[in-house]
Amino acid sequence: MIKADNVYKSRKLIKVSLTYCEENKLINSIKITGDFFLYPEEALDQLESSLIGTKVDKYTLRETIEKALKQVDVFGFDQYSLTDAILGCLKQEQDSSATGKR
Amino acid sequence: MKFKKIRLLETGFNPGPWNMALDEVLLNNCIDGSEPILRLYGWSPPCVSVGYFQSIEEEVNLDRCSQLGVDVVRRMTGGGAVLHEFELTYSFITRKFPFNILDSYKWICAPVTVCINKLGFKAKYVPLNDIIVDNKKISGNAQTRKNKTLLQHGTILLNVNFEKMFSVLKVPPEKLKDKMIVDAKSRVNGLNRTFEEVASQLKASFSEKFSAQFIEDEITEIEKEDCKKKVAQKYSSHQWNHRR
Repeated sequence: MIKADNVYKSRKLIKVSLTYCEENKLINSIKITGDFFLYPEEALDQLESSLIGTKVDKYTLRETIEKALKQVDVFGFDQYSLTDAILGCLKQEQDSSATGKR
Repeated sequence: MKFKKIRLLETGFNPGPWNMALDEVLLNNCIDGSEPILRLYGWSPPCVSVGYFQSIEEEVNLDRCSQLGVDVVRRMTGGGAVLHEFELTYSFITRKFPFNILDSYKWICAPVTVCINKLGFKAKYVPLNDIIVDNKKISGNAQTRKNKTLLQHGTILLNVNFEKMFSVLKVPPEKLKDKMIVDAKSRVNGLNRTFEEVASQLKASFSEKFSAQFIEDEITEIEKEDCKKKVAQKYSSHQWNHRR
């Protein structure tokens, strides 16, 4: 299991912390924090739950996020920026592996 | 959208957990027929509040807060971390409001913007939740909706202790602009008006905006008891404050 984090500046700041399986790239756990707004607020817990078991892949992530946020008012990010924020975790992790900081 | 009357609560300076608990109690106790509430308050001791979706450990230097006697509390509203010290905070709670979220922010930020302008500044509302003067944030606002009731609370900055602010908040470089600072020369020191001056103008602006008369009131014994419970069970609990 690999742990990775990323800070991503969209209209608001998104911080993603996740663990995923190295072999199949499925998300095992994920925490999304930041200074954004979601209405209703409980939607973030549901979004995080829906991302568990999702493959860290651009189109799968975008589709899952879009579906989870369908009835939600979000200010500060969207399905595109959150997808980029999650994918950025992998890049951060790969960069730290390459420099031996993992 | 107009109101005949607004219940006015000027609740003084209180600790952060108590302030957040009272806002939630007032929101929860609002029922059909309740007058809207304008609450004006301050914070003592100083307190960092973090947004509902933020991680307290990621945003706040907890050791530094402890050394400086600064409280820390999680809000029930989104948005960013704020050091509440030299400011006026307001809450507006209402059952009647524009359904669209952007419209409702704009609607409540309007009298706040007018207040700042009447104090001699050129303030501008910037969606979603900021009011700026000279391109720098002077007021941050956040709202939530529960049980068909809207609560919006927000701050009007009177003064800033930058050294303290940056020692208690872990501000990432990406957020420096939002925290009113690009470089030392572009710092904003708040409105440099007294709490009472701003409170008086804010009341006038809300009254004018909603064509409403104020009913000057105090919190009831029931609200006080509910608030004490909410402080103990929620806003001073590790479970709530460290939930993310």
